[in-house]
Amino acid sequence: MEPLTSMGVMALIGAAATIAGASEDLESDVGSQSNPNSQVQLAPQMMYPHRIFNKAISGEPPSNALMCAIGGTTASVLMSAGASVILALAIGAIIAAAIHGTYATTSYFGRSASQRRFKQPIYLDILRSHLPVIMGYAFITTFCILVVSYLMIAVLAHPFSLPLMAFIWGITVGAIGSSTGDVHYGAEREFQNVEFGSGLNAANSGNIVRRAESGLRNGMDNSWFCAKFGGPVTGLAFGMTVFLSGWITVLFDASKGDAIGWISVIAGTLIVLILTIWNRNIEVAARKAFGPYKKDEEAEVAA
Amino acid sequence: MSVGGGGGGAHAAIPHNNIIAFGLVGGLVGIYAAYFLVDMLGEYMSFLGALGAICGIVWGAAAVRRVANYGLGTGVPSIGMLALGMGVVAATFGLAVGGVAGPVIAVIFAAIIGLVIGVLANKVLKMGIPIMEQSMTEIAAAGTITIIGLSTSMVGTFLFDEVMTGVITTGHIAVIFIAGGLAILHPFNANLGADEKQDRTLACAFEKGGIAMIVAGIVATIMPLASGALTILVGLAVWYVGFSAFYKRVKRDAYMITGSGLLPSKEELE
Repeated sequence: MEPLTSMGVMALIGAAATIAGASEDLESDVGSQSNPNSQVQLAPQMMYPHRIFNKAISGEPPSNALMCAIGGTTASVLMSAGASVILALAIGAIIAAAIHGTYATTSYFGRSASQRRFKQPIYLDILRSHLPVIMGYAFITTFCILVVSYLMIAVLAHPFSLPLMAFIWGITVGAIGSSTGDVHYGAEREFQNVEFGSGLNAANSGNIVRRAESGLRNGMDNSWFCAKFGGPVTGLAFGMTVFLSGWITVLFDASKGDAIGWISVIAGTLIVLILTIWNRNIEVAARKAFGPYKKDEEAEVAA
Repeated sequence: MSVGGGGGGAHAAIPHNNIIAFGLVGGLVGIYAAYFLVDMLGEYMSFLGALGAICGIVWGAAAVRRVANYGLGTGVPSIGMLALGMGVVAATFGLAVGGVAGPVIAVIFAAIIGLVIGVLANKVLKMGIPIMEQSMTEIAAAGTITIIGLSTSMVGTFLFDEVMTGVITTGHIAVIFIAGGLAILHPFNANLGADEKQDRTLACAFEKGGIAMIVAGIVATIMPLASGALTILVGLAVWYVGFSAFYKRVKRDAYMITGSGLLPSKEELE
């Protein structure tokens, strides 16, 4: 294929992956899945019952892998039955989102019912209002992952089948959402009542913010907050992962000869090196600007 | 998820030995019934394989519940993935060497792998969970039954060549792996907490088994030796019955189910 066409396809794949990453993180934030879930689960036990959705399906990688594998399988079945690609991918994503909705429902009901002695009620309006949002984000994530997988197979001639490819990208988007976006919700949003950057004192465990700008805080308030930074940055992280890892083999196509293949390996190594040095510099600059916690030490001495 | 069960043995209304018998016998009967009846009566009997897989899923979920009650919080999903990981190895080995006896050989082989991993976990990693060896054996066998059951339902047979071309090279093994794995790990993960009840967790496992069955049915629609329509319909029925049973127990167990409302007051919490 023309290198220019391949680069265009890679750009499209990168764009779809960016949207998938952002919607994946916001989907997990609406339901408090993954890392922030431990505090949502702990809160009622510390006498802080709440109106926050408790979506403990599993970690983000397995639940996203489930969505994407179901979407990929359904789409590949429909395509082999003669359906058009867009229709097949859309129906696959709809079925995946519906199944994801049942998993979200059982985890909200189950986790809340298992906190009977801590008097955590089950609010049906929370389920009714949050479930369409969760399923909507799940649809966007699954559809975009299917677009990424399909383009890689159909245009860039990747040897894997659609269900397997979607499964692998599902795990990846879940892993990146869990490691990148969760910090913004778990460390910042849940503990806005303590000083920024102060860490989580054991005495504050479970004492998550339960009241919102208006009324009682719920998952959608959290999604609104995370949509400002955590979601987009997750999208960028996943988009970059997909784009940069694919870009090197598109530009330096290993099928054209061993020498070009080795150039792609060198290009990949260079990208990893540049990112590592860049990250290290950001960390050092942040430490110089903000850390360590001098004020806390002074306060302890004064006490 | 920092709170993982009570740190001791799990209380059970249904004796665990009954669940083992249900999973092992029900699973193998379902798989063999699908294999023979597809030959005798027609491809629409392939749905029986998925019913066998549901028996394996319920057994696996019960075993995960027992072992995870010893304080595994975030370890619950890992154990579910481990179950299907051991299952894939055992299933491909068993079906490759066993012919018609494949599922039985696969389950025996899985039990051996599970036992070894259980012994390693307790003796080498020193996890110190009393039922680790037994649970790992059960989880591996349940995962294997789930994989073979769903595969049989997808292609109408468990003979290695058909499973290889219809399930593994097409990549449908990915959806079996994750739909089966989540059906085993999700029920206890979703019901984790101080007031978790065995029957509610197992009702959830039935419901998730129904979903795995529907997905197997979707794949079976394009397979020559299997029929998807009946598998999807029975899967929907299992899902509906499972969800109703689960919601009935949620209503029984919850502190309060309310359409909407404020948080419990301080007086209520004391």
